[in-house]
Amino acid sequence: MPTALMLAAEEGISVNGPLVVKSFNIGGITINLTESIIVQWFVIAILLVVVLVLTRNLKVVPETKRQAAAEMIVEFFRNTVDGTMGTKYKAYHSYIAALFCFIMINNLMGLLGLRNPTADVSVTGAFAIITFFLVQYNKGKTGKFKGYMKSFVEPLPFMLPFNIIGEFANPLSLTLRLFGNMVAGTVIGALIYFALGHFAILVPAVASLYFDIFSAVMQAYIFIMLSMSYISSADCSED
Amino acid sequence: MEELARGIVLGLSALGAGTAMIAGLGPGIGEGYCGGKAVEAIGRQPEASGAITRTMIIGDALAETTGLYALVIALLLLYANPLIGKLG
Repeated sequence: MPTALMLAAEEGISVNGPLVVKSFNIGGITINLTESIIVQWFVIAILLVVVLVLTRNLKVVPETKRQAAAEMIVEFFRNTVDGTMGTKYKAYHSYIAALFCFIMINNLMGLLGLRNPTADVSVTGAFAIITFFLVQYNKGKTGKFKGYMKSFVEPLPFMLPFNIIGEFANPLSLTLRLFGNMVAGTVIGALIYFALGHFAILVPAVASLYFDIFSAVMQAYIFIMLSMSYISSADCSED
Repeated sequence: MEELARGIVLGLSALGAGTAMIAGLGPGIGEGYCGGKAVEAIGRQPEASGAITRTMIIGDALAETTGLYALVIALLLLYANPLIGKLG
């Protein structure tokens, strides 16, 4: 008599990448419109609606709970950014807040049964590339040309290759950390459903609580914390 | 012969994926050490528990990185095996 586990082994466990909805060919370069992009549009729409609702009819002294909630969120991000990067980086408040909210809602999309856009290495790679350029920008801005070049030969000139590798290792590890965590949730979810077959009650819910809720919020938080510390530690001004 | 070669490559890839995940040991030890030290620090200085927890989470995330590299390699071997293409 075949058990559920044997059936699962016969059917095979498949975990697919994001579906390609439509392919465009522009000047010999193929651009794929994937599931991840469409889910991200959906996330952008959710964020837009939430932000518009929260910021309607603002008063100097908050009267509604809506405005109090909005102020709490803004206060939280201000304190986080000021606490991690110092008060010098006021311009990053809105970027870090947007990044956190966007990554978190993207990670939570697994709850709706959609494929997490962040379980796609090109999406997390894009986030990490933005951080990479912000690090380079901050280095150039604080150290000018001389300081920027000097940061590569510190503490000793023979460290040059290691510094260059290190510069690219940071965005790579940011990419793979978010991607690995989210794809691990997807793969383990699929494995649990296949192993349990028709008896999939309760156990997937517990796994989903960890991977879809705890891990989702935690990884978004870790992503912004690491981005902030990379950006603020790129400061090479001479003081 | 083709079948046999394919079978060997697939089997060894599965073994490789499993072996790669032995790397899970490292992050486990690292995160445990990190958590233990954080508990010690909070025990010594309970008023700084917020800052300690925040730092601990960052440390955990960094310790986890090597494990995630291994996970990515294991997933590559299982779902996007580059070695099957080399059979010709």
